[in-house]
Amino acid sequence: MVSLAATFGRGAMTNHWRDIRHADLILINGANPAEAHPVGFQWMMRAKLDRGAKMIHADPRFTRTSAVADKYLRIRTGTDVAYFGGLINHVLRNNLYHDEYVRMATNAAFVVAEGYSFDEGMFNGFDPQRKTYNAAEWAYETGPDGFVVLDIDHPRSVLNLMRAHYNRYTPEMVERITGIPRTDFEEVAKLVGETGKPDKVMTIVYAVGLTHHTTGVQLIRSGALLQLLLGNMGRPGGGMNAERGHANIQGNTDHAISWDILPGYLRIPAPGQQNIDDYLARSASKKLRPNSLNFFGENYRKFLVSLLKTWYGESARADNDFAFHHLPKPAADASWLSIFDAALRGRMEGLMLSGMTATSIGPDSNQVLQALSNLKWLCVMDSYATTSSEFWRAPGIEPSNVQTEVLLLPATHWIEKDGSFTNSGRWVQWKEQVLPPEGEARHDHWMLAEAFMRVRTLYERDGGTYPSPVLQLTMPYRDPRRPELDEIAQEINGRDLGTGQRLATFAALKDDGTTTSGDWIYCGHYPESGNLAKRRDGIQDPARNDPTGMGFYPNWAWSWPLNRRVLYNRASADPAGKPWDPTRPGIAWDGAKWTGDVPDYPATANPADQASPLPFIMTSEGMGRLFSNGVADGPFPEHYEPVESPVDNPLHPHQSATPVAHIYLPDRFGSRREFPYVATSYRLTEHEHYVTQHVDQLVALQPEAFVEVPAELAREKGIATGDAVRVSSKRGKLEVRAVVTSRLGPLTIDGKKVYQIGIPIHWGFVGINTGQHWLANALTPFVGDASSRTPEFKAFLVNIEKL
Amino acid sequence: MEITPGTAYGFFTDTSVCIGCKACEVACKSWNLLEGNPPAFGDGYDNTGRLDAQNWRAVQFHDNVPDNPAVTGQGKAWLMMSDVCKHCQHASCMEVCPTNAIIRTEFDSVFIQPDVCNGCRNCISACPYGVIEQDEHSRVAQKCTLCYDRLQGGMEPACAKACPTQSIQFGPLDELRERASRRLDTLHAQGVPQAQLYGHDDSVYGGLNAFFLLMDEPEKYRLPDAANAVLPSRHNKRGYLTTLATAALAVLGGLIALRRRRARDDDS
Amino acid sequence: MTLDDAQHFVRDPDWTWYILGYFFFAGLTGGSYLLASMLRLFGKPEDEPAARIGYYVSFVALLPCPVLLTLDLGQPLRFWHMLVNTTPGNLGLNFKYWSPMSVGAWALTIFGAFATWSFVEAWTLDRERRFFPRLGKLVSFAGAPLGLFVAGYTGVLLSVSNQPVWSDTWTLGGLFLASGLSGSAALMGWLVRFRREASPSVGALALGERWFQILELALIVAFVVTLFPTGALERAFGPPWFALWAAALIGLFSGLLSGSTRASISPDGTVAVRAVHAASTLPTTLVLAGIIALRAAIIFSAQ
Ligand SMILES: Nc1nc2c(c(=O)[nH]1)N[C@H]1C(S)=C(S)[C@@H](COP(=O)(O)OP(=O)(O)OC[C@H]3O[C@@H](n4cnc5c(=O)[nH]c(N)nc54)[C@H](O)[C@@H]3O)O[C@H]1N2
Ligand SMILES: Nc1nc2c(c(=O)[nH]1)N[C@H]1C(S)=C(S)[C@@H](COP(=O)(O)OP(=O)(O)OC[C@H]3O[C@@H](n4cnc5c(=O)[nH]c(N)nc54)[C@H](O)[C@@H]3O)O[C@H]1N2
Ligand code: SF4
Ligand code: SF4
Ligand code: SF4
Ligand code: SF4
Ligand code: SF4
Ligand SMILES: [Mo]
Repeated sequence: MVSLAATFGRGAMTNHWRDIRHADLILINGANPAEAHPVGFQWMMRAKLDRGAKMIHADPRFTRTSAVADKYLRIRTGTDVAYFGGLINHVLRNNLYHDEYVRMATNAAFVVAEGYSFDEGMFNGFDPQRKTYNAAEWAYETGPDGFVVLDIDHPRSVLNLMRAHYNRYTPEMVERITGIPRTDFEEVAKLVGETGKPDKVMTIVYAVGLTHHTTGVQLIRSGALLQLLLGNMGRPGGGMNAERGHANIQGNTDHAISWDILPGYLRIPAPGQQNIDDYLARSASKKLRPNSLNFFGENYRKFLVSLLKTWYGESARADNDFAFHHLPKPAADASWLSIFDAALRGRMEGLMLSGMTATSIGPDSNQVLQALSNLKWLCVMDSYATTSSEFWRAPGIEPSNVQTEVLLLPATHWIEKDGSFTNSGRWVQWKEQVLPPEGEARHDHWMLAEAFMRVRTLYERDGGTYPSPVLQLTMPYRDPRRPELDEIAQEINGRDLGTGQRLATFAALKDDGTTTSGDWIYCGHYPESGNLAKRRDGIQDPARNDPTGMGFYPNWAWSWPLNRRVLYNRASADPAGKPWDPTRPGIAWDGAKWTGDVPDYPATANPADQASPLPFIMTSEGMGRLFSNGVADGPFPEHYEPVESPVDNPLHPHQSATPVAHIYLPDRFGSRREFPYVATSYRLTEHEHYVTQHVDQLVALQPEAFVEVPAELAREKGIATGDAVRVSSKRGKLEVRAVVTSRLGPLTIDGKKVYQIGIPIHWGFVGINTGQHWLANALTPFVGDASSRTPEFKAFLVNIEKL
Repeated sequence: MEITPGTAYGFFTDTSVCIGCKACEVACKSWNLLEGNPPAFGDGYDNTGRLDAQNWRAVQFHDNVPDNPAVTGQGKAWLMMSDVCKHCQHASCMEVCPTNAIIRTEFDSVFIQPDVCNGCRNCISACPYGVIEQDEHSRVAQKCTLCYDRLQGGMEPACAKACPTQSIQFGPLDELRERASRRLDTLHAQGVPQAQLYGHDDSVYGGLNAFFLLMDEPEKYRLPDAANAVLPSRHNKRGYLTTLATAALAVLGGLIALRRRRARDDDS
Repeated sequence: MTLDDAQHFVRDPDWTWYILGYFFFAGLTGGSYLLASMLRLFGKPEDEPAARIGYYVSFVALLPCPVLLTLDLGQPLRFWHMLVNTTPGNLGLNFKYWSPMSVGAWALTIFGAFATWSFVEAWTLDRERRFFPRLGKLVSFAGAPLGLFVAGYTGVLLSVSNQPVWSDTWTLGGLFLASGLSGSAALMGWLVRFRREASPSVGALALGERWFQILELALIVAFVVTLFPTGALERAFGPPWFALWAAALIGLFSGLLSGSTRASISPDGTVAVRAVHAASTLPTTLVLAGIIALRAAIIFSAQ
């Protein structure tokens, strides 16, 4: 999500599932939607079946998605930057980009400040001590008016720097890095290049096959740049579409599941920020062009103050800077890897896990098990026993040696409560409780409320170092120990404190303490008229419910922001406001206002007007960022090898992997000699991570752990389907069955034969078929991406032997 | 979709868009309260293996993926097909059933009445698609009912409802046949000559109400080709004639034996 | 049919031991009824004792038949559904002339009545009570074809399916009939030794047995020939089934050989007859075992 925010301003799937059916070309990279998103996949099939769209799947494995794609490319895992880079180079070299769009909606013409350099795999601004880049050094040239200088023909214009950067990604280089034969690559490049025309649209679909890399953010950004160049952003049938994971992972992200943000993507305050002004100076962006709307930056204060009012109520007043001092200002990061690293080093006392099973999901599970054993206590809130609640009896662990006190609090499953899910397409959809809670199970929010109230009682009774954040937190619910989700939804929406009415739009939020909102992007989903997430005007009556015929269904649930269905939709129309493709309009200027989808733009801003805002309203540039300083590892994406890789980077062998990855445990990487094969881990359609090990119908469909082995390698090693094999990495091993197939095959990388081995993730030592106790993550490396600290689950080295 | 008794319904299963997600299998089990078999490893993807009393839907996987690192998928390199009872117009199972437990319903489907069946298993020996099995608990023959109970309630079958790609399409037969031939034309035009329909016309068993678009020869999917799709009753005549001839020869031989013995007696 | 292998994608009905038992007894009950009736109707009056032996055998072999059939059902208490249609709105009798199982159910039921009648008659006559003698002949006459049917239709039943082996040949009905008759003849020929008055029939039974065995052998050859183009030979004769076929052939040939010796014995040579009979216990057992083996090979190899 970091990379989309860094490129477009918002971290979310830009279009929505149903919209994919408008595409002419579907590029699927790092995703296996037929297996991981089978229901959403229907829209890709519709594009294919109803409008003859072509589907191209690049994946290390020939999967159930490849099976129905028009073209499958076997790609080496972790090399999509090179693949996209080759496509970008093809587009730039042959001037296939959508010129008018690029000028209107991207920062191609922005001139980059002097000092920018890229040499031997290193950008300027590297601090070798801290092993980080100072992204502030990737800046634009500003004029006397304080705004960025525009000149697309300037040698340091973004476009020209980009040409130079991508020059190196020739079809030969793509083949050397990715293993995709040149002719096949060129065939695909031709198709992709054609979508730079206004009447053609391509969508890029991706998921964690791109994120789970130390270069994850850049992998995704590569696709985003390609889409900007081809003019496919903001348009129906286009976009950079992140398929989110769990049913409500988008909702989690919006409400700050990540350690580095507050709800609504407000930055977490940093140490030293004494007041809101300090905070805004560091967090809120400033406009770089006069008619950049810079919506987020300009309104940051309103959103923050409304949030503080929601949390601290009466105690948040103008005279105390709205209790800004109550917010934590963490000095260290609290990413998943860092938490378990701290536990491993004995710096953690206790841990509460809710709806997540640490043992199975994190990299290097043997280390994670060790980390859990180092805790004093572990509290697991879950509807089932998990590999975390049972970690003390994992194979290889002697329970009597584990001192950790483990508590399992029975939580209601999501099916036992109401509440909303926010899907990939950002639709907030309310659901009802389906089953009554079983046994003594309690809702997570009740458990947390109860724990909080008891802590508050302790503070009230005994005092404490800094009691006020605890004492002054509002709990404005009928029963503070048992809040209703409906009450919480209203609280998130926010109110006008003067009238007491719930607000209908975040445009009404104020920075003077007269409004509240628990998450500004959700402001408007629950206005006085009721909970809009409950709306269900759908395909029962398409004529009425889908007036544009574009499948927006504006009265089906509610999507953030402001019920908009396609983000950045200003870019779907030309400078005059006419849709690039009238058969697939997003929004259109009718002379007085914008019609169609809810415009991502002031509804009455006349495009003919010189002062009308630039199209990407969330960025300080007002433009989509081809060049961006919003990421930690480079303003342009560059191909780096995974931390464990079978070859040296053909582009710059001396800077093979990214210099800025987060490496926690340096001695746990294996060598090519010992571990000659590439491995990647992934999902199977039959299971949902680990929880479905409790569902007998799914266990019957996929009963046992296995690994997929290329047929040729299997012949060499005498392995047949069903045989037991041992797969090992520097960190651990699996002893499971082999499935031999030519769906995985050898690649020729830089002249060398490379085999890839497939590791499905779904098994543990808890569940129905208990003989299966192997954790895929015993193999994976404990290392994180520079920007997001996402682990490298998708590329590592292993060895395989027949047992 | 309005579902009216008296109309012939069925499935058009388009294997070229099947993604092997097995939602159909699970939906069928959930609706029909089938327990499923104990977990057992098959080949990693097809762990169900076949149709039986606990699996009225089963997705077949046939891996034809070539070694080439870049190929076209299009449903022909890794074949997937959701197999089910074909609801044959000339149903072998129905033909042999001695109890008349197997009937043709008002929706033109082939249905085994569980309270009439006595578990003789004659239908199992007859069904050329290996669809039926005797259930361990109910001890009667079981197979897909075309969701008879759902159809009666105006609902489409559970498997078709769950199928995300509309590989399983449920509907009135004439409509499905039309759709199928259009789809076949499209595929041929897209350069997939091996695409073929199976059971859409009367060349196999007078037509299958659950017919298929295949991406390879029928045998590949364990379906007999038109030449081999024959009804059990073809053997009645030949079988009885042989028996009759044997009987005649036997009686004749018996009479001769009686005569010869008598002749010998007379001699002595 | 071309020389391509016939395609079979059918499941096994799991017809095993009960069905094997039934097929064996059906061959004997039907076969011995026919032989008994022929002795009574076309033989000399001295053949009547042997005929009664036949009716006894037929009845005793009949008894296990419905029991085995019923036990084989998944729902034994619904055995009567074979005869009565219980489909709501469609109540009535079930009879499908094209389904051998349906026809067989009726045939067995009706034949059962005949076999029982003839048995009771034989029993009362043996106890020198009068018993509608006219009717007796009529019953014998009408029951004989039913007996033939019961002995033979089981083979047709197998063929009317889509199973490999079974449906690849048209010989099974005749084969089962011939082997049922030869078994019946052997068994009756052997039992005669326990009833002196019956010895005049020995020669005829032995001649009959030999003839039935020749028929059986011819049909086995036809079976092989019909299977050949379908590619099912291997399945029917491959291991472990060849052992069963060997047993079947041993039965066949021991019958043929011993039958020949018996056939040449004069009816007056009572002592010699006894001696030969004593010596024929083994061949008879082999013949019967061969009949079981033949059926077992065919039933099991296909599934
Ligand atoms: N059935 C099922 N569905 C699920 C889930 C589940 O557990 N089961 N989980 C949900 C969750 S939380 C998530 S995050 C999503 C994840 O959805 P996906 O990202 O689609 O799932 P994965 O199987 O992890 O990985 C996708 C594919 O990426 C490929 N891949 C690996 N590395 C690379 C690479 O470098 N380049 C390219 N081009 N491809 C690569 C893998 O071979 C794999 O086929 O799925 C969601 N849906
Ligand atoms: N090697 C490798 N590792 C991976 C991945 C990979 O591709 N490769 N993928 C990663 C990704 S993207 C993800 S998202 C993770 C997934 O990892 P997890 O999210 O840990 O996996 P789930 O099995 O979905 O776990 C969800 C848990 O939530 C519980 N639960 C469900 N509803 C509720 C509720 O309402 N309240 C509470 N308290 N609990 C509930 C379930 O019982 C279950 O135990 O795995 C990650 N790990
Ligand atoms: S698992 Fe849930 S979210 Fe995924 S396709 Fe099925 S119903 Fe939809
Ligand atoms: S497929 Fe088999 S079970 Fe289904 S109707 Fe045809 S013969 Fe009967
Ligand atoms: S098992 Fe039941 S359905 Fe099948 S033939 Fe016998 S009675 Fe009919
Ligand atoms: S129609 Fe109903 S019974 Fe038949 S396979 Fe589909 S879900 Fe199962
Ligand atoms: S639900 Fe549809 S796509 Fe999935 S396996 Fe079944 S037929 Fe194929
Ligand atoms: Mo995920």
